[in-house]
Amino acid sequence: MDFINAFVVLANFVIVPGLAYGAQLALGALGVTLIYGILRFSNFAHGDTMAFGTAITIIGTNALLALGITFGPLPTALLALPFGIAITCLLLLGTDWAVYKFYRTKKAAPVILVIVSMGVMFVMNGIVRFIIGVNDINFADGERFVVTARGFREATGLAEGLAIRTTQVITVVVALIAMALLFWFLNKTRTGKSMRAFSDNEDLALLSGINPDRVVMVTWMIVAALATTAGVLYGLDKSFKAFTYFQLLLPIFAAAIVGGLGNPLGAIAGGFVIAFSEVTVTYAWRRVVSYLLPEDMAPDGLLQLMSTDYKFAVSFAILIIVLLFKPTGLFKGQSV
Amino acid sequence: MSNPYQDGRGNKDRSITNPAGQGSEMPRSKSGKVTAAGDSTAFLIGEAMTGGYGKGPDILHACTIAVERGEIAVIVGPNGAGKSTAMKAVFGMLNVRSGRVLLDGEDITALTPQDRVVKGMGFVPQTSNIFTSMTVEENLEMGAFIRRDDFRDTMAQVYDLFPILKEKRNQAAGELSGGQRQQVAVGRALMTKPKVLMLDEPTAGVSPIVMDELFDRIIEVARTGIPILMVEQNARQALEIADKAYVLVQGRNAHTGTGKELLADPEVRRSFLGG
Repeated sequence: MDFINAFVVLANFVIVPGLAYGAQLALGALGVTLIYGILRFSNFAHGDTMAFGTAITIIGTNALLALGITFGPLPTALLALPFGIAITCLLLLGTDWAVYKFYRTKKAAPVILVIVSMGVMFVMNGIVRFIIGVNDINFADGERFVVTARGFREATGLAEGLAIRTTQVITVVVALIAMALLFWFLNKTRTGKSMRAFSDNEDLALLSGINPDRVVMVTWMIVAALATTAGVLYGLDKSFKAFTYFQLLLPIFAAAIVGGLGNPLGAIAGGFVIAFSEVTVTYAWRRVVSYLLPEDMAPDGLLQLMSTDYKFAVSFAILIIVLLFKPTGLFKGQSV
Repeated sequence: MSNPYQDGRGNKDRSITNPAGQGSEMPRSKSGKVTAAGDSTAFLIGEAMTGGYGKGPDILHACTIAVERGEIAVIVGPNGAGKSTAMKAVFGMLNVRSGRVLLDGEDITALTPQDRVVKGMGFVPQTSNIFTSMTVEENLEMGAFIRRDDFRDTMAQVYDLFPILKEKRNQAAGELSGGQRQQVAVGRALMTKPKVLMLDEPTAGVSPIVMDELFDRIIEVARTGIPILMVEQNARQALEIADKAYVLVQGRNAHTGTGKELLADPEVRRSFLGG
């Protein structure tokens, strides 16, 4: 029985990676939930928006590195992030002007906008591959670890090591800042309140003198910032690949729905629920369990419920369970 | 369906679509010019209005509705008479094909509803007239959205008028009772300091006791000097407080007069007031 070592193993392989992944999903789900709440459709192009923002940020990072500028121990991509956000903003506003605006003025049924967003998704898919290609790109630089496994072992004298990567810490910190800013904006500022009013009752918002075009514009800008940040953090933590970002759509939607669509707080909770479910279900628990059980009872198998290849099945399963038993999500969102 | 884009083809999947609170089609194009019209007598008048929704058939036929300074004007009539439609026409929410709308000596027929709000018209729709997910105070703040000055004293006035709202200022408006919601709705419209207030069936769906209270409040608002134009289902009570009343039938003016005159008119009594 060795609780401390068991906990360290758990923290190393489940808690820390789960927190980072959860924060990335939460940021992605916040963007989805904002579009759902204010523009009233599920934006299937969100994953590819994240890919686009990340691709532009990678280009910016490379340019900065070519100029010899780095961010010290932190990844240079963080310096290039504002640039990526700005370009993604332009892309989204351009898309809105060229595509969504037409349907909005026609008061198109939301399901039509969903299909339209799917078309946009394919176009963005192509654009991203044109810009940066289809390969895996690793663009994290700077200091790799905050705590290394060996350093941890030497400092504590434990058998197991705990490694915390810089990108994981950055992910959680940046996500917290972004969330705090978003909540402050939505609940305290005039523009933020007008966005909530527009989401609640479009006609009455109009009669109160709220300019719908401005609300839509600000929404896209915030979504661009959230999507790019989420994409860059995910890319720093793992690596960038256009197809992976497209696949992220499922856990992100699952997170938004599990938390309650249209509810920002729910999106964050949903992100962590989905992340931790994926990580715990696909983790091989043998080492944790063998520390907890007497030596002669140590398990032979890996104690892995599901291969990591099936991690998307976890999002699907949670999505279905939530839709069956709690259609409004964990937090009170729109009834699905 | 006239607009193929609004055909959801039976899709009701809320996990991808969110129809809640979606706006209706409203004339949203740029406002036209405001011209001076020196010949008007009333403060707000919709003169000989003919029109209907979108490209649909005409609902109003040469309908005239006016309200004078400091007065309460009510529109009554049977179901489907076009009462609410007449109100919406005055507010610019449907196409007025002929006739004009004058506010304080200006022809505002070409203005969009939003610009009419800026001009000083306050409108309380019949349904979905509050932001249900926002607190009472936020509802009032949104009412004052077009104001850039300090609106705290206006908010204090609204709280004086509707003390229950002050008590529930931090509660979500959607959690309030029917009568309290109507008070929020009227309060929201008052936040712009409107020059005229238009109420579309403010007592719809509230109990008789609450209805009496609401009527008292409306009279109080009128006493502060704001002219009120209102559509009412409860014809008798509405006519009792009305300075001017219009009975509409099938989109046409059927009877016009002071509230007392119409209450005394045998034909009005027989057809609308049940004897």
